Amino acid sequence: MLQLINVCHTYAGGRKKGKDGTVPRPALTDVSFTVPQGEFVILSGPNGSGKSTLFRILCGLTLPSSGTITVDGLDLRTQMAAIRPLLGVVFQSPAIDKQLTVIENLRMQADLYTLPRRELTARCDEVLAWTDLKERLSQRVETLSGGLARQVELAKVLLTRPKLLLLDEPTTGLDPSSRRNFLMALRKIQKEQGITTLMTSHIFSDAETVDRVAILRQGQLLACDTPAALKCTLGCEVVVIVPRNPEEFARTLRDNLSYPVQLCGDEVRVEGLGLGAGVPLLENIMDRWRGEIQTIALKKPDLEDVFVHVTGQVEQSRSEGEQP
Amino acid sequence: MMRTALALAGREMIRFVRQPQRVAGTVLQPLLFWLFLGLGMGNSFRPSGMAAGMEGISYLEYFYPGIMVMMLLFAGVFSSITIIEDRDAGFLQGVLVAPVSRLAIVLGKVLGGTAIALIQVVLFSFAAPFIGLMPTAGGAAMLVLGFILTGLGFTGLGFVLAWSMRSTAGFHAIMMVFLMPLWMLSGALFPTGGAPVWMGWVMMVNPVYHALNMIRLPFYQDLATLWSNGAWLTSLAVTLAWVVICLGLSMVRVERRERGA
Repeated sequence: MLQLINVCHTYAGGRKKGKDGTVPRPALTDVSFTVPQGEFVILSGPNGSGKSTLFRILCGLTLPSSGTITVDGLDLRTQMAAIRPLLGVVFQSPAIDKQLTVIENLRMQADLYTLPRRELTARCDEVLAWTDLKERLSQRVETLSGGLARQVELAKVLLTRPKLLLLDEPTTGLDPSSRRNFLMALRKIQKEQGITTLMTSHIFSDAETVDRVAILRQGQLLACDTPAALKCTLGCEVVVIVPRNPEEFARTLRDNLSYPVQLCGDEVRVEGLGLGAGVPLLENIMDRWRGEIQTIALKKPDLEDVFVHVTGQVEQSRSEGEQP
Repeated sequence: MMRTALALAGREMIRFVRQPQRVAGTVLQPLLFWLFLGLGMGNSFRPSGMAAGMEGISYLEYFYPGIMVMMLLFAGVFSSITIIEDRDAGFLQGVLVAPVSRLAIVLGKVLGGTAIALIQVVLFSFAAPFIGLMPTAGGAAMLVLGFILTGLGFTGLGFVLAWSMRSTAGFHAIMMVFLMPLWMLSGALFPTGGAPVWMGWVMMVNPVYHALNMIRLPFYQDLATLWSNGAWLTSLAVTLAWVVICLGLSMVRVERRERGA
């Protein structure tokens, strides 16, 4: 449904070369991945990793410097007009008019997508079914809570039955329960209607139930796989230690253990442990270096660990590469 | 395409009437401006080189069409400022990713802005009989044509300027150093005949001067006279060209996708 091949993007520098922020700045480097029909993919990455740039490219607001992107076989560079009707886009800043009422916003969307007027009532019923908006149709959006405004946004986008749904951190600014409700509704509708979905997010609990997770860092795609497969790369268990002197302790562990040891900020992580290997290792570490350790934990790796692992490794290889 | 353009224009109208301060401000401000300046300057006004039928008119009467152009300028330009607000609020990106012809995006904003301007200026034109200005039916029709073209011109110009602006503060600066002088040098405040020669030339090439002609002359001349009046026909051609160029430039700006290096 969505295919990216070697997509690169560099922001052009300003006219005055050499000053801060005016030199050309690469934002995406050789990003390639595919989102098959009906899959839900989360695009993750730290701030400044290129997520938003990629998002702007996918919704047609920015042209990439090079590379090919196709949506349903259509070329994003030359056939954008044919792609637009297939897209549903939810931006980080809500694209609804706060001074209009809920129903006026829905009607506006119908007009923008030239939805036949006779279908409007049925479509509205369809997209409002899961929301808490049914009694509030004639209320202005500015009078609604953040969670309800997000519901308007999603209902509005679903009104046109998009084939490809793009969401840019749609849960920003929502409290945990509103966020959960929004995501559950989104996942349910997405599955029922088989909408191919790409959502950017850096909240990893969002990603546990999706089909695939892509991790971007400094413009490079570091991983793109199912959550289970990503977690497997870390082994079955991880030991996370906060020592008094992280750098020295990481060196000590690397010299003494046969498992991969990673230093991430104040934490030292021992990864790649087979099932049941965690507890003996933890006991061993406690016996030998108890005085060095502030806290120690044994856990099953979650996506946040994958994220730390993948993005941390790049940091490591870069700093190693820079050494003479 | 028209459905989308009209929906977007309709939204402009809804937003306008839902902000009562905006309605009051745009109607009251020109009225006060006109009355204070018109009455205050009345005795100091000794025009020379006036067109036929306009000799010895009062300043209140002279300034009347000029204030109408100012209303169209403000209404058009303030409608364009909403582009910056729409972009900040996120509404604009929602429109840009929709399968909407780029011309419809321009027309939606420009038609909406022009309609708002028209309502204001038509309301204001009810003051005309009180200063003894009564156009003929044909003149009134040409007057409305003048309103529409000037409204489209200013809203279109505002669109071109506002599209690449990131802040409303920047737009206000442009307004004060570019748009207001265009209005001042249009003959709205003082006749071209009384200005220094170089300023007279600047005034003649100023499109707002021609817009003002389109609005002033129909008060004094009937349909047949206007269509045989070279000055009016020139102004019609210039104003039309101004509208077409601004709409064209707006289209080009909206169509341009941000590019990588």
